[in-house]
Amino acid sequence: MIQIRDLHKSFGDHKVINGITLDVERGTTFVVLGGSGSGKTVLMKHVIGLLKPDSGTVFVDGIEIPRLEGPPLTEARRMFGMVFQGAALFDSMTVYENVAFPLRERQRGIATDELRRRVVEKLKVVDLDEDVLTRFPAELSGGMRKRVALARAVVHDPKVVLYDEPTTGLDPITTAYVDDMIISAKQRLGVTSMVISHDIASAFKVADKIAVLYDGHLAAQGTPEEVRRSDHPFVQRYLSLWFEKQ
Amino acid sequence: MMLFGGETVAWVFRPPFRPELVLAQMAAIGVGSIFIVGTTGFFTGMVFALQVTYAMAQFGAEGYVGGSVALALARELAPVLTALMVIGRSGSAITTELGTMRVTEQIDAMETMAVNPVQYLAVPRFLAALAMFPALTMLFNTLGYMGGYLMGIFVSDIPPGPFIEHTRTMVETQDVTHGLFKSIIFGGVVAIITTYRGYAAKPAEGSRGVGEGTTRAVVMSSIAILVFDYVLTLGSVGK
Repeated sequence: MIQIRDLHKSFGDHKVINGITLDVERGTTFVVLGGSGSGKTVLMKHVIGLLKPDSGTVFVDGIEIPRLEGPPLTEARRMFGMVFQGAALFDSMTVYENVAFPLRERQRGIATDELRRRVVEKLKVVDLDEDVLTRFPAELSGGMRKRVALARAVVHDPKVVLYDEPTTGLDPITTAYVDDMIISAKQRLGVTSMVISHDIASAFKVADKIAVLYDGHLAAQGTPEEVRRSDHPFVQRYLSLWFEKQ
Repeated sequence: MMLFGGETVAWVFRPPFRPELVLAQMAAIGVGSIFIVGTTGFFTGMVFALQVTYAMAQFGAEGYVGGSVALALARELAPVLTALMVIGRSGSAITTELGTMRVTEQIDAMETMAVNPVQYLAVPRFLAALAMFPALTMLFNTLGYMGGYLMGIFVSDIPPGPFIEHTRTMVETQDVTHGLFKSIIFGGVVAIITTYRGYAAKPAEGSRGVGEGTTRAVVMSSIAILVFDYVLTLGSVGK
């Protein structure tokens, strides 16, 4: 579904992505793990075409994203949903308006009843009731905002959902809830998911495959078990610190 | 910024059109500025009438106060002071709102939803400014002249007849349309500068960057108004 080929990206003299190649299979959850500043978010922004690579390329469902500009890029983005680290809900809109936004934009003239039905349906997927519809993002807890963000990301039935640090800053209970939400979105909606995270526990819980990003390149990738057995010094240190903590 | 301005103008003519967003921005920029612009216009008219009366009295020409006030308001004071007031009230709000949206990734989110943020955010503000700057300038003209009339008639004891008659002879339609033309240009310039400064905020700089962007937007817009005013006036009256 997603193929990244020898991707390179620098900002000024700082090389952020240094030759990354990976594949995400359709209907699976792929987690990119790495420390702060390792280039995870930059990698994800290339997948959805928010950044252009210096060299290398990205294919999503057979479409070469970096080659697209203007309306074709806009059209290609219709197959994505994205959950941002801070949820990125539109703070001047209610929950209903936020979740309805992508649908309204894709299907201009959609009937109000149909719009409401689909918004409520997707809010149910993330265990939210209709009573949140009229609330503003500032009136929601961090976990609820993340759930609304996921409902907004999947309301138009995208092929791919991208998660940028979905559990950062959340308490353990809400973190577990968000993990279940990612698994549920995959199982109930059949979407391909790519998760950017530094949360090792969450990664091992939700991932079909994991890649560990270090200093702009992949230190390891494979199933969770294969990554756990990696002999790369950074991966060993990164994981052992966490397993010791457990 | 020039590219951003060009992109904004280009998107005006491309669907989807969003009249509901334009109306909302007209309310925010126009209706929301009625009080500040009206008050400024009324007091400017009063003060200007008192000052002109003081000057004219030296030649015994107090009857020309009405015409002088109306002419100065229509050609210069109304478009320029209206623009400066709207920059302070609405221009700064536009930059802050868009800057906050950029820093909190709301603009990135919009892009990922296949919505062009320039078309969604900048175009409605641009069109609303084009429509509301001249409307507010007319409000400034009207209340300014009313303030001048009150001072001239009731404080300086100028007879109403000459006050109004000289206004009629000194001020022509093209004086008013010249001021309104200026205000349309000012509206476009202010909209592009203030939206750009918010749109181009750097997420890494956080709220400090938004604050600095807002300050920069207000300063740049104000200076741009004064420069454009000079150029347009020079083009209108010549040497």
